Amino acid sequence: MADLTAAERLDRILAIVPWVANQPNGTAPLAEISERFNIGADDLRDCLVITSMVGVHPYTPDVLINAIIDADTVRIELPDYFRRPLRLTAEQTFALLTSAKALLSVPGADDRSALARGLAKVLHSLGEASETAVEIGIDTASDAITEQLRVSVESKCSVKITYYSYGRDNTGSRVVNPWTIHSEGGLWYLQGWCHSSSAERIFRIDRIREVTHTDQAFDTPDPIPEFRLFDSADVQGRVTLRLKPAAKWVLEYYPTESVVPEPDGEFTVELAIGSVAWLERLLLRLGPDAVVLDASDGLEAIAADSARRLLAIYSD
Amino acid sequence: MTPTDKSAEKFERQMNLLAALSDTTQGIRAAEIQQRVPGYNSDHDSFRRTFERDKKDLLSLGVPIEVVAGTTAELTAYRVDKSKYELPDPGLESDELAALHLALETVAVGSSQADMARAMWRLGGVVDAATSGPLGLPVGELTEIPSDPSLVPLFRAVTERRTATFVYETSAGTADRRVEPWHLDFRRGRWSLSAFDSERGDQRNFRLDRIRGDVAVGDAASQTHLTPKTVAEQSDPWEFGDADPVMVSVRFDAEVALFAGDSLRSCDSTAAPDGSLVFLVPVMNWPAFRSFVLSSLDHAEILEPPEYRAAMVDWLLLIAGESNG
Repeated sequence: MADLTAAERLDRILAIVPWVANQPNGTAPLAEISERFNIGADDLRDCLVITSMVGVHPYTPDVLINAIIDADTVRIELPDYFRRPLRLTAEQTFALLTSAKALLSVPGADDRSALARGLAKVLHSLGEASETAVEIGIDTASDAITEQLRVSVESKCSVKITYYSYGRDNTGSRVVNPWTIHSEGGLWYLQGWCHSSSAERIFRIDRIREVTHTDQAFDTPDPIPEFRLFDSADVQGRVTLRLKPAAKWVLEYYPTESVVPEPDGEFTVELAIGSVAWLERLLLRLGPDAVVLDASDGLEAIAADSARRLLAIYSD
Repeated sequence: MTPTDKSAEKFERQMNLLAALSDTTQGIRAAEIQQRVPGYNSDHDSFRRTFERDKKDLLSLGVPIEVVAGTTAELTAYRVDKSKYELPDPGLESDELAALHLALETVAVGSSQADMARAMWRLGGVVDAATSGPLGLPVGELTEIPSDPSLVPLFRAVTERRTATFVYETSAGTADRRVEPWHLDFRRGRWSLSAFDSERGDQRNFRLDRIRGDVAVGDAASQTHLTPKTVAEQSDPWEFGDADPVMVSVRFDAEVALFAGDSLRSCDSTAAPDGSLVFLVPVMNWPAFRSFVLSSLDHAEILEPPEYRAAMVDWLLLIAGESNG
């Protein structure tokens, strides 16, 4: 058990004292306090001895904390202070509500669980404004599909999925060994081995339309390879763009190979191309805020080509 | 620590100081603290230095020390309002405490583990999840919610009904915004704020990643507009704008209709026999909506109103290098 700093010790005792006083008969075993509040037995005893001398002027017994320590237990009676622990700070309250709400937003989470009940009690004690202060939506993946995938991860049996590939812009089916489910950036992903491409692949769960179980068993690698959304092995060439200042968000949003700030406030940036459809979408969004300076073979005029293709939809 | 060493002296002095500050409604003056709280030096300068250090330590724990101004510096008094100090008892059972602890340990939201542990002590300590029975949590799959420097100040503004001011960047540039924050929302990897915008006299949505610099919060209870009773539907990027909403009709073909529907679930839609869906979408920010539609490439088409359909055509002509303007 690590030694406490002076501030940690004070903070810990300000939580321990009211907790003990609120137990039946104001009494609790020292071993339980030590474990529950992660404080060494000797340190705890020393702090409690000092606490029994704490009070207010004129320091008569009726205004002192009454802490009676024996071999295994402590009994605490309090004057009219230290009866409740210190309030949580805004940082602590925010983290508590956000982490609890995040776990409860996971598809399939039980809204009658201990966490749901605990969160409801904390929210109630914090008051009305806290109840709707934060909402967390991890993603829109279907509960049923996530649950089917979770079962397959557990049973180590391959699944056949119908998947919309954003990169290729088409829907197809493939057989996958589902290794694990992972959340990043507010979205859920399935990481596994794709039989169709004979390689590790990551699938966004909200783009999986259908899951069919198979009886084909597989072994999950141990350890599971690191989860990486952008995999350099999948790169299909590179593109160099000249970006106007309004398109600076691209630098924050995508991994860049190189960035050169230009004297006029523009940027020259080199990006790895995840897929042709990805580059089309990026250039259609950016419009005149991006100019292709250089690109892998056949992609130099991709923005104009895809714009003309889309214009055909509006030709009538 | 032993009860006789320096750190023990400091611990005892700070506990006594906090007791003295909590035991007064009028406030206690520095001179009285020096006389009545054991452990302070009789030398004035030495007392003042130690007192200021102790006060700073208590404030850093979150102890709400109030200063009661007097007519002279000597008459300035200090106190701790118990109603602001005391954590209301949520009445947590052991399994609920264990579940909350597990949530804090599992999902990182930008706070330090040490600070989260302090939150748990205040709630009643840490109970081992293994001894409290099954918690029914999908632990291990969710590990991170992205943080943002504006989150905690805005959360404080929401829960304490404070106003907030910040610099906000839009495609038109940056501008100061003064708002009454109502609600923070995390969706699709982004944090956003819904608030009453004082200058515009209406509700507006703000992306936290577009707030530049620090958020300044006003006094407690300085909001003048009631938070809506029902939480507004989570907002999409095309709802983050100052323009009045325009209803735009857009068709998504069968290939992407279901996924588009995930983003447009609150919008009216009509299904066609070929599996395509036509959605009627309120748009306040055309560039954001144009980007959303273009992300579906050939699978989406703006139908109405004519000026938005024409705006999309103009945009594509510009990219195709066929624009006259």
